[in-house]
Amino acid sequence: MQTEKEKITEILQSYPREQRYCLAIMQDMQKQYNYIPKEGMEELAEYLGCPLSSLYSMATFYKALSLKPKGKHIIKLCDGTACHIRGASNLRDGVKRILGIEDGETTEDGEFSLELVNCLGSCALAPVMVVDDVYYGKVTMERLASILNSYREEGESA
Amino acid sequence: MNITIDGKSCQCEKGEYILQIARRNGIIIPTLCHHDGFPGQGSCRLCIVEVNEGSGPKVVVSCVYPVSKECVVFTNSEKIRKQRGMILTLLQKRAPESEEIKAFCKMYGAPEIDRFVKVDNSKCILCGLCVKACTELSVGAISTINRGITKEIATPYHEPSSVCVGCGSCAYVCPTGAIAIEETDETRTIWGKTFHLVHCTSCGSVIGTEEELACAAQKAGHEPDTLCGPCRKKELAKAFRHTYGEIPAE
Repeated sequence: MQTEKEKITEILQSYPREQRYCLAIMQDMQKQYNYIPKEGMEELAEYLGCPLSSLYSMATFYKALSLKPKGKHIIKLCDGTACHIRGASNLRDGVKRILGIEDGETTEDGEFSLELVNCLGSCALAPVMVVDDVYYGKVTMERLASILNSYREEGESA
Repeated sequence: MNITIDGKSCQCEKGEYILQIARRNGIIIPTLCHHDGFPGQGSCRLCIVEVNEGSGPKVVVSCVYPVSKECVVFTNSEKIRKQRGMILTLLQKRAPESEEIKAFCKMYGAPEIDRFVKVDNSKCILCGLCVKACTELSVGAISTINRGITKEIATPYHEPSSVCVGCGSCAYVCPTGAIAIEETDETRTIWGKTFHLVHCTSCGSVIGTEEELACAAQKAGHEPDTLCGPCRKKELAKAFRHTYGEIPAE
């Protein structure tokens, strides 16, 4: 098995040493680890020969990039206008009750992360929740528990 | 070519910025984020002026507005004063602790508006001048991080930077004194890192941090300085005297 450092090096070396590839490299790291590790940022700065500060600026600017470790399953809860009116904040409370996490937090067992987003473009299905790119529309409190449980069990049986 | 600023005819080149032309002609336009060494920020918007190029007056940001044809500029019209006042009100909400902004607010009669929320204990207006100074002059140790209402200027991970050389350029250019820099006889502390200061071997005044001198020497391609500016001039003058002889006093 590859060590973490080797994996980072492999991602880096799949791109030329030019600063314009920094975002693509960071996206690859994000995909690999679900977040960008600090070593990854430092290695990248060294690889491209640019200041760490400018990469850090970019990584904190884009919401798609995270510098904090994320859970295995990422829950995106829509709190856009339509979802908000149809009870997204109840779902938010529900997630907090079931998993004990708020916006931007990750459960202690590293299974789930919660992100509040502003619109997923599926307002007709409000309130919408997305878990690992699977859309769940018209979510009720009852369904919320069963959806989250299904990911839990999946984890246990695997 | 010539443009008219506040009734005064000013000679200029095409492409020069209005602020530059005005300053050269002794016309004062207030600025915060402008520094002659790092022009073109255009983020504080304090230097707005009214320009009429023949198609009616428009408000532009003078530090980044290049002149392209003959025009008439007003730097202190009623419209400008009003807009500048509003900008200052917003800047003051952003950086309520800044004495510089307080003074400007008084000067332009900035209205006090309660519905805007103050940012507590802040002196920073996020103009980015420090970031530019650090990147261009030094090592690029700081940057803007996050975005929107959580945006701030900091070192990566809010940790003492491994590359910062403690030159203090960021604090020097900051228009609102927002960057904390502490100096004793022997040390300088900035961005959570403490540096040892080097003193002039001739007169003993501070010439910079060890890291800063090493960084400058590397860029210039010579040994780190051991003398301060005035002492170096004295040394040069000695060499000149040796070459050209004593200049007789009149």
